[in-house]
Amino acid sequence: MTEGVTLRKEIGERLSDIGKVDILIGIPSYNNAKTIGHVVQAVQGGLAKYFPEKRAVLVNSDGGSTDGTPDIITHTTLDLHSILVSHRVTPPLKFVIPYHGIPGKGSAFRTIFEIANTLEVKACAVVDADLRSITPEWVDLLIRPIIEAGYDYVTPYYLRHKYDGTITNNIVYPLTRALYGKKIRQPIGGDFGLSGKLISFFLAKEGIWGTDVAKFGIDIWMTTTAIAYNFRICQAFLGAKIHDPKEPSADLSAMLHQVIGSIFDLMETYQHIWMAIRGSEPVPIFGFQYEVGVEPIDINLDAMIDKFKLGVRELEGIWELFLNENILDLLKRLAGPQGKNNFFFPDDVWAKIIFDFAAAAHQRVMGKEHLLKSLTPLYLGKVASFVIETWDSSASEVEERIERLCLAFEETKPHLIERWD
Amino acid sequence: MENFLDRLVFEPLKHFYERLITFLPNLLTALIITGVGLFLGWLLKGIIIRILNIINLDKFCERAGIIQALEKGGIKESPSRLAGKIVYWLVVISFLIMSLDALNIPAVGNLLTKFLLFLPNLFVAFIILIFGYFLSNFLGRAALIASVNAGIKVSGFIAKSVKLIVFLLTLAMALEQLGIGKETVQIAFAIIFGGVILALAIAFGLGGRDIAKDYLERKLKGEGDKEGLTHL
Repeated sequence: MTEGVTLRKEIGERLSDIGKVDILIGIPSYNNAKTIGHVVQAVQGGLAKYFPEKRAVLVNSDGGSTDGTPDIITHTTLDLHSILVSHRVTPPLKFVIPYHGIPGKGSAFRTIFEIANTLEVKACAVVDADLRSITPEWVDLLIRPIIEAGYDYVTPYYLRHKYDGTITNNIVYPLTRALYGKKIRQPIGGDFGLSGKLISFFLAKEGIWGTDVAKFGIDIWMTTTAIAYNFRICQAFLGAKIHDPKEPSADLSAMLHQVIGSIFDLMETYQHIWMAIRGSEPVPIFGFQYEVGVEPIDINLDAMIDKFKLGVRELEGIWELFLNENILDLLKRLAGPQGKNNFFFPDDVWAKIIFDFAAAAHQRVMGKEHLLKSLTPLYLGKVASFVIETWDSSASEVEERIERLCLAFEETKPHLIERWD
Repeated sequence: MENFLDRLVFEPLKHFYERLITFLPNLLTALIITGVGLFLGWLLKGIIIRILNIINLDKFCERAGIIQALEKGGIKESPSRLAGKIVYWLVVISFLIMSLDALNIPAVGNLLTKFLLFLPNLFVAFIILIFGYFLSNFLGRAALIASVNAGIKVSGFIAKSVKLIVFLLTLAMALEQLGIGKETVQIAFAIIFGGVILALAIAFGLGGRDIAKDYLERKLKGEGDKEGLTHL
């Protein structure tokens, strides 16, 4: 067994005593006391119910919680009689360890992967600690495609409210799909299944663990790397995704900077791959698909349109460095005095804008932080248009709408290639 | 009579001739140094322009908005040609100084000493101004984007104010470095800066009391003017 670089000696010794393990479930956490108990119970239930004969370990990699999260994990147990009529399993071993290095989800993942690699696991799943909708079935759906069908990477496929995950729906999914040609619906979902082979491959990429990937870009990095190196990928239908509300102070422009900045960085690394890809192909989905009710979301449409109009008025001087006149004219018309019902942001224009931002980042037209934060008003304009268009639409109609947006990104891809150099 | 002519005409002429003979080699040396300087300046200018064209400096400056800034300042030449010209004049001036020194004239020597001692200040002031210009642009843009994203209606005014204040600060620092109106500049800057801050404080305190109260209440309750979406 090889010992990871970030693991302390005593942990390495404990791992050596354990020997080989079949399944590892990793939970990165930071101040998730409210939800972590439920997540741990769901994982314990899933392992007992679906993999009773497998050796399993639960690893919590904590970022220095001050609300007692690690204690809750240590003391949480699930009464298996409540979900199983009969069982003959011992509960999975638990590791609750703080991670070291740069603070962030990527560093937490690295620690989990190091342990998985040391224990030579066959399959590993990572789940977010803020989940309220996780069930024991998630463990089965994320692990079984790896153990029984030979997949290397399982991405989640959730049912979410039509206005939940708008960065994913309007940028991350269409852009990733147009670039790399795979219809992966939740590239940054947060809950993934990974084979031991893929984990070893990720850990071997030593250069990335000191970059932004360690802080916030781990989800998109894993998905893009798995695609780029042709690992076998599938999706698992997990049902509804409901998580603890994020901090109200979470800044949208910082979020855009982190998420889109990570995708743009990966575009530099994998330029030779995405340049040659046209169109997209489906990725298999495992799990029984069903409709679920999701929590309603209040939308402040006026605030979004106001910020879009303010952005067009004030940021034109920045955008004119890399957006062409036709797009700027259309934005000015959109920011005009027409009513809400006539507010329509065309898909092809949105795709061109995202591609122009990518080319501008590549050509270093200005600092990436300023560039990506200046995207915020445009993003809000696009989301406002999306909300207006889909106000009375059902979940399946919204999916069709997102599919049309993805096709616009794929059809507009030559614009990106033309603008790139 | 002969003696008189000698003293009045020939001796000064002889003296002038001797000094001229002594001075002429210095003049020739000075002319040669100037000529070499002009040639070297021309040569270096050509090399610099060529190198900067190879590394696409003009394209980079266009993207970074430097060309637009120069045009606003009335400079129509490309940054690479401008850099070439600056190098040319630096070389020419350096050689001119050397050539003046070669003339061995005490008054010129004194002036040159003073000028040379002042040169580092001039250089530092120039660097401060250049740095200040870019810093004010950078911070002005950062303030503009941040205030637009926060939904502040007077974002343009905020950005311009930040830009102006930072540039004024660096201008004051540059003038102080040059020793021009040292105390006057400091006092004037302190009065203007303090006045602006006081005016803003009064304006916000009196005029925007209710807005500030409302804003703080919403922030403390965690509501803000968010869009109500979970974006990721």
